[in-house]
Amino acid sequence: MIDPGGPASLGRGKSGPGEPDVSWLRPSPLLLRARRIEVAVVTGPAAVIGGLAGQVVSAAAGIAIAAAIVLAGLLAERFLARRVASWGYAERNDDLMVRRGVMIRRLSVIPYGRMQFIDVTAGPLERALGLATLRMHTAAAASDARIPGLESGAAAALRDQLAALGEAQAAGL
Amino acid sequence: MTGPVPAGPLPDRPESDRLPSDRPLPAAPSLARDAGWHRLHPLSPLVRAGRQMMSLLVVLVGIAVLNQHQDGNLVADLVVIVAALVGGFVSWLVTRWQLAGGVLRIDTGLLRRDSRRFPLSQIQAIDVVQTGLARLLGLAELQLRIAGGDSARGGRLACLRLADAEQLRRQLLALAAVPAGGLAPQVTGLSYQAEAVPDPAGQPAARMLFRVRAARLSVAILLSRSGATALVVAVATWLTVQFSGSAGVIAPFLPVAFGVVAALWRRFNGEYGTTVVAAQDGIRLRSGLVQTTAETIRPGRIQAVRLVEPLIWRAFGWCRLEVDVADARQRREDRAEGQRLRALIPVGSRAEAGLLLAELLAGPPLPAQPAPARARWKAPLSYHFLSWNADDRYVVAARGRVCRETTWVPLEKVQSIRWVQGPLQRSLGLATVHLDVAGKRVSAKIEDRDSTEALQILAALPDLARAARSRAG
Repeated sequence: MIDPGGPASLGRGKSGPGEPDVSWLRPSPLLLRARRIEVAVVTGPAAVIGGLAGQVVSAAAGIAIAAAIVLAGLLAERFLARRVASWGYAERNDDLMVRRGVMIRRLSVIPYGRMQFIDVTAGPLERALGLATLRMHTAAAASDARIPGLESGAAAALRDQLAALGEAQAAGL
Repeated sequence: MTGPVPAGPLPDRPESDRLPSDRPLPAAPSLARDAGWHRLHPLSPLVRAGRQMMSLLVVLVGIAVLNQHQDGNLVADLVVIVAALVGGFVSWLVTRWQLAGGVLRIDTGLLRRDSRRFPLSQIQAIDVVQTGLARLLGLAELQLRIAGGDSARGGRLACLRLADAEQLRRQLLALAAVPAGGLAPQVTGLSYQAEAVPDPAGQPAARMLFRVRAARLSVAILLSRSGATALVVAVATWLTVQFSGSAGVIAPFLPVAFGVVAALWRRFNGEYGTTVVAAQDGIRLRSGLVQTTAETIRPGRIQAVRLVEPLIWRAFGWCRLEVDVADARQRREDRAEGQRLRALIPVGSRAEAGLLLAELLAGPPLPAQPAPARARWKAPLSYHFLSWNADDRYVVAARGRVCRETTWVPLEKVQSIRWVQGPLQRSLGLATVHLDVAGKRVSAKIEDRDSTEALQILAALPDLARAARSRAG
């Protein structure tokens, strides 16, 4: 069904490990916006507080601290784009593949029959953007199948589809 | 499922419709009439409270000795003890259990009724545990191990008479082994003749597979990590005394020393006299010095087998063989002990481990494919043992230098497969494949393979696992 990923599949560089004939689906582009807002929400107040704290020593120190924090936020933002782009999932005939990570790259294969339950969560920010995170649980605590940044309609549809597939292929422990 | 459910749909036998209050208290529940409700043994509150009582008594005696003039405190503490005993008694009074229709039901709670049902087909293993006090009283606790549940809410019957607990365990396992389709009629059929359930212990079918030697166990524990810790603490204490010249300075060390000795003792107590027997209803495991545990692991419920060979033990040709069973999730405070898998062989020779391994797994492969040489840069020490192998039923992976660990995972038990590549691995063109199984965070790690090979493994294993699952049914 899948070509055991030969060297050709490795040559895809940034796109991470993946077999040639697996079509990766990606989270919504809004996920990047959500992550950016999260970074901004942390960086902004941190820069203000750091700057004010630095004023105690001298005005220059305050400005330097605030600038450093803003710079760190911008760096994090650069990194975010790659991290968000690394997410991908693929529904295959018998299992779901999820990949993620830039520094540490991960690629998980979860057979539908092994699913114990699925949950769809959405935090306040995700809700505001109409996004949701889907998570599949197996009996193994180490299993790691999370897809963030799905549009909430798509997340619900995927949840129902996975649940149906899981029911059809359910296997005992 | 749970909730304040009354007697429920019971088989149409008149005595089963009675409420427990109508029944005379059966001191020895007759298991043959399994549609009826049973109570636990009347002494069980005492046993359940036993451990806390002991420490409470010690504290109380201490308080009484220290401030003899304050009699009021003593009275207050006695009130606490009496209240605890009354509480235990009430909890015993409202607890009852029933075995009917392939489901074990345990009802408890006075104000907040709690009714739990355990489908027997879901049982992973059954333990019969006897604390020291329970042994004196001839009682035992029956613990059902169910996958994924909370261990605090798991199925436990504490306490029954030992003979009853043993018989109930046999009965539960016999019922659980009945295929799901024919469950209902078979159960009633069996329930009328519970005595007819074969007793595997008395049959030639039960074969002794392993028995630990007490002398070797004590030496091995002293040579293990906890033994080394004890040695360090002892030497540190001795040096302190030598240099300071007075024995009084060791007072701060005492709690640490106590903890170390307690850890050694716990391990010795837990693993003393470990006996493994292959019986009809699964692998029987008995161990314990003061608190004894008898565990039955149903066939086909083993999620992983791990062979551990610490550096010092290897010099003696010793090893430890552990199994993982899908178990209740550990509570936070239990986690330290929960991480340790159940040892079938606390310490034994390689030949003994090989025999038992062949018994647990049918023709397990041996790790035979070493990692590529450049993995030495990433794992300079553990490179030595890194290797893996697979056939169409099992995957085996070996790792670790100081403490060599070899893990076998049956392919039909694999829950998910993960390919992971860290930055260092990426620069060396390596990757690791994890095979996750249900249980206490055990995963077979096929570490530091060539990344192309790792992708091939990742591509091939799901199909192999699916084939193994469909073969297993």
